[in-house]
Amino acid sequence: MRLRNALAIFTVSIVLVEPALSQALVEGHITLPKTRHAPVANKRYEIVSTGGVLAPYPPFAVVYLEGRFSLPAGDLPVQQMSQKDLAFVTPLLPVRVGTKVEFPNLDNTFHNIFSFSPVKRFDLGRYTSEERPIPSQVFDKPGLVTLRCDIHEHMRGLIVVLDTPHFVKTDADGRFKLGNLPSGSYKLKAWLDSKTTLERLVELKAGSTLRVDLP
Amino acid sequence: MTSLPGGESGVAAFRAKLLAAMTLVVAALTLFGLYLMERSVVRETQHDLQLAFASELSLLRTVRYIRHGSLAERCRALVRKPRIHAALEDNALDLLYPSAKDELGDALPPGESPGDATARISIRPRFYRFVDHDGAVIPPVNAPEVGALAPDEERRLTFTGVPQIQQNGFLIRSGSEIVELIATPIISTETGEAVAALVAGFPPVANERGQTGLHTGLWLDGKLHLPSLSEAARLALENEVPGVIARDEGAATKGLPVMVDGAEQMLFVERQNPGSMFPAAYEVGIFPLAGLLARQRDLRWDAALAGALLLALGVGASFYISARLAAPVRELAAVSQENRVLRERAEAALVVKGQELERSIRFSADASHQLKTPVAVLRAGLDEMLARDDISSESCEELSMLVHQTFRLTSIIEDLLLLSRLDSGRLHLELSPVDLTRVVETCVDDLRLSHVGPPLDVEIELPVEIQIAGDMRYTMLIVGNLMENARKYGHPGAPIRIVASESGDAVSLVVSNQADPIPQASREHIFERFHRATVGENIPGHGLGLNLARQLARLHGGDVRLLRSDANWTEFEVCFRNASSLPAETLEVA
Repeated sequence: MRLRNALAIFTVSIVLVEPALSQALVEGHITLPKTRHAPVANKRYEIVSTGGVLAPYPPFAVVYLEGRFSLPAGDLPVQQMSQKDLAFVTPLLPVRVGTKVEFPNLDNTFHNIFSFSPVKRFDLGRYTSEERPIPSQVFDKPGLVTLRCDIHEHMRGLIVVLDTPHFVKTDADGRFKLGNLPSGSYKLKAWLDSKTTLERLVELKAGSTLRVDLP
Repeated sequence: MTSLPGGESGVAAFRAKLLAAMTLVVAALTLFGLYLMERSVVRETQHDLQLAFASELSLLRTVRYIRHGSLAERCRALVRKPRIHAALEDNALDLLYPSAKDELGDALPPGESPGDATARISIRPRFYRFVDHDGAVIPPVNAPEVGALAPDEERRLTFTGVPQIQQNGFLIRSGSEIVELIATPIISTETGEAVAALVAGFPPVANERGQTGLHTGLWLDGKLHLPSLSEAARLALENEVPGVIARDEGAATKGLPVMVDGAEQMLFVERQNPGSMFPAAYEVGIFPLAGLLARQRDLRWDAALAGALLLALGVGASFYISARLAAPVRELAAVSQENRVLRERAEAALVVKGQELERSIRFSADASHQLKTPVAVLRAGLDEMLARDDISSESCEELSMLVHQTFRLTSIIEDLLLLSRLDSGRLHLELSPVDLTRVVETCVDDLRLSHVGPPLDVEIELPVEIQIAGDMRYTMLIVGNLMENARKYGHPGAPIRIVASESGDAVSLVVSNQADPIPQASREHIFERFHRATVGENIPGHGLGLNLARQLARLHGGDVRLLRSDANWTEFEVCFRNASSLPAETLEVA
C-alpha cells in the first residue's frame, strides 16, 4: 500500500515538479479520531459537539502552513456557506483571512445566521432564499468562527479563518498533500477540532517532497 | 294474674310503670338521635368548610400553577435561545444581557417601575439575572434594563453551583414585596451540562381576600408575610407555623385551629417549593371559623328544638299508648278477680268432695270388714241349726234359704271390699301369663255348678292356646261375671257363646247370648255401680258385677264393652293384652 502510494506520489511529483522546480511539497497522513462507523460516500458532513469540543463528522483535518508569506495580490475568491435542509452544506470551511463568505439560504424557510465568536461577530438577520444580494461577511481576523442559526438552534457551522494561503482539507482517511510551497522553515499545523491543533516544524527545500505524519 | 294485687291500684301502678318505661325509651331514642345529628352537623359543617376552603385554595393554586407553568416555560424557552447559548458558549458574555433583552422583547420596557403592575396575574419579570456555573451572578451591562436589585437581594438569587433542574423560590424585597423566583438552568448544547442559570423574579399572584375569608401569605426564613393581618395576629401566627411545619413537613395538612385576633381560625401550611435549592417557602393560609361556628350553633339549636318537639310528641304518644294498653289490663284484672273467686269456690268444693270420697271409701272398707264377721257368725249359727235333728223339713228348707242368703251377702261384701280397694288405689295386680282357655273352662264349670234349671248350652270357640297378661284370680272374676250375667239375663235354654280372638297385642273375648235388648238409655249406665237394667228387675243381683269387671279389666290394661244389644242378641267383650307384652322376666317365671 505504502509502496504503491510512494510510487504514485513519485510519479506525480515528477510530473508536477518539473515545471516549477522552486516549489516544495508536503504530504502525509493525519491520524484522525476513530469513528464508530465507516464513512459513507454521500454521508453529509456535520458539526458535532462532544464535551464542548466542536469537530466535523465524519472527521477530517485542515492542514496548513503557518509563517510569513508574501500574500498574492488581487481578490480572493468568494466562498459559500449555504444552508440546505436546515443544515450547513459544508459545515467546516477553511478560508484565508480577508475572504468574503456568502451565506445563501437554499431552504424554503427563514434562516438567521449569526456568530458571537470573538473573531467575527455578526448577525445576518432573517432572510429567505430570495434575499439579494446574498448575505455575506468578510472574515478579516484569523481564528475559529462558530456559526449558529437563531431560528434553528441545532444548526452549527465552523469557519476556520487562516492567516495563510497554504491550507488543504484531508480526505476521510487523513491523507493530505500540500503543494506550491515556498522553501524555508515553517510550522505545519493540522486543525482537528475546536480544541485540538497539531503542529510540527518543517524545513522545506525547493523541489523536494516532505513526508509528514501527524502526530 | 295474682301479680296484680288489689285490682284498680295495681292497674294504676302498671300504667305508671308502662308510661315511665316508654318515656325512658322515647327519651333515649331522642337523645341518641340528637347525638347522631350533632355528630353529623359537626362533620357536615367541617366537610363543607373543607370543601369551600379547598375549592378556593385550589382555585388560587390552579391560577398559580398555570401562571407558574407559563413562566417556567417562558424561562425555558428563553434559555434555549441560540443567542443565549452563543453568548455563553462562544465567549461573548457581553452579549448575554443584550441578547436576553432582545429575546424577551416586551419583558421589561424601559421606565417600568417595580410594583406598578396593576394586572392581577403578570408574567413580566420584575428582574432577571444570569448566574455562571460557579454560582456567581454575571453582572448586567445596564442594571436598570434587567431590573435593579440591591446587592443583598442579588445574593439571594444564587446557589453554590448551578442547578440541573428548574428551581422555585421566593424573595422578600424591601417594602414587603414578594417576588417569585424561577431559576432555570442553561444546558449547553455542546457539553450537555448546565453552564449557567437564568434567575427571574416575577410578581406573585395577587392574593385578595376571597369569599370565604381566606387569607394567604408566605412563610420564608422564619418570618410570616401576611400583610392583611394585624401585627399582633401576625406575631401570634409566627409562633404557630413552625410547629405545623415540623409536624408534617409542609405536606397538605388538615388544618390546625388557632386563635387569631381573638377569633378561632383554621391554619393551613403548605410548602410552595418542595425540594428546591432555594430556601423553603411555605404558603400559610388562615381561614376564619366564625362563620362555621355560627352555622354549627344554628344547626345545633335547630336540632335541639326538633329534639324537644320530638320528645314532647313521644311522651304524649306514650301517655296515650299506656292509657290504651292499661284499659284491657284493667278488664283482665276484673275478670281474673271473678275467676279467682270461682276457682277458689271450685277448689273448696273439690276438697270437700275429696274428703267425702275418702270418707265413703273408708266407710265401705270398714263396713265390709265389719259386716264379714257377723255374716260368718250368722252362717255358722244357721249351719248349726241345720245340723240339728229336731228341725222340721220346712224349717230346714228355710234355713237352707237363709244360708244361701248369707253366701250372697258374703259375695256382696267381698265385691264391696274389692271395689273399695280399687277406689282407694290399693289394689295392685301381679300380671303373669294366664291361660285363657283354662280360665274360660273353669268359669264354665263354675257356671254349670251353680246353675239350676235346664242344662246350659255353652259354645266355646277358642284358639288352641291363648296366653294373656293377667292375674288369675281377677281374670276369673271378670270372665265369671260376664258369664254369670249372660246366664242371668239370657233367655232360658238359649246358648251362651264364648269366642276368643287375637289381634296383635290385644286378646278379645266375646261373651254373647240371646237376651232382651238393653234399652238405649241404660247402655251408658250399665257399667255404673249399683245400676241394674230395668229389664232384669226380677233377676237377682246387686249391680256391682259389670262395674267390677270393667275396673279390673282396665287394671289388666284392657276394658269391658257392650258390643251389641239388639233383638235377642247381646254381646259383651272383654279385652286383655297378650302375655307377650309382659316384661321378659315375668315370662320366664311363668
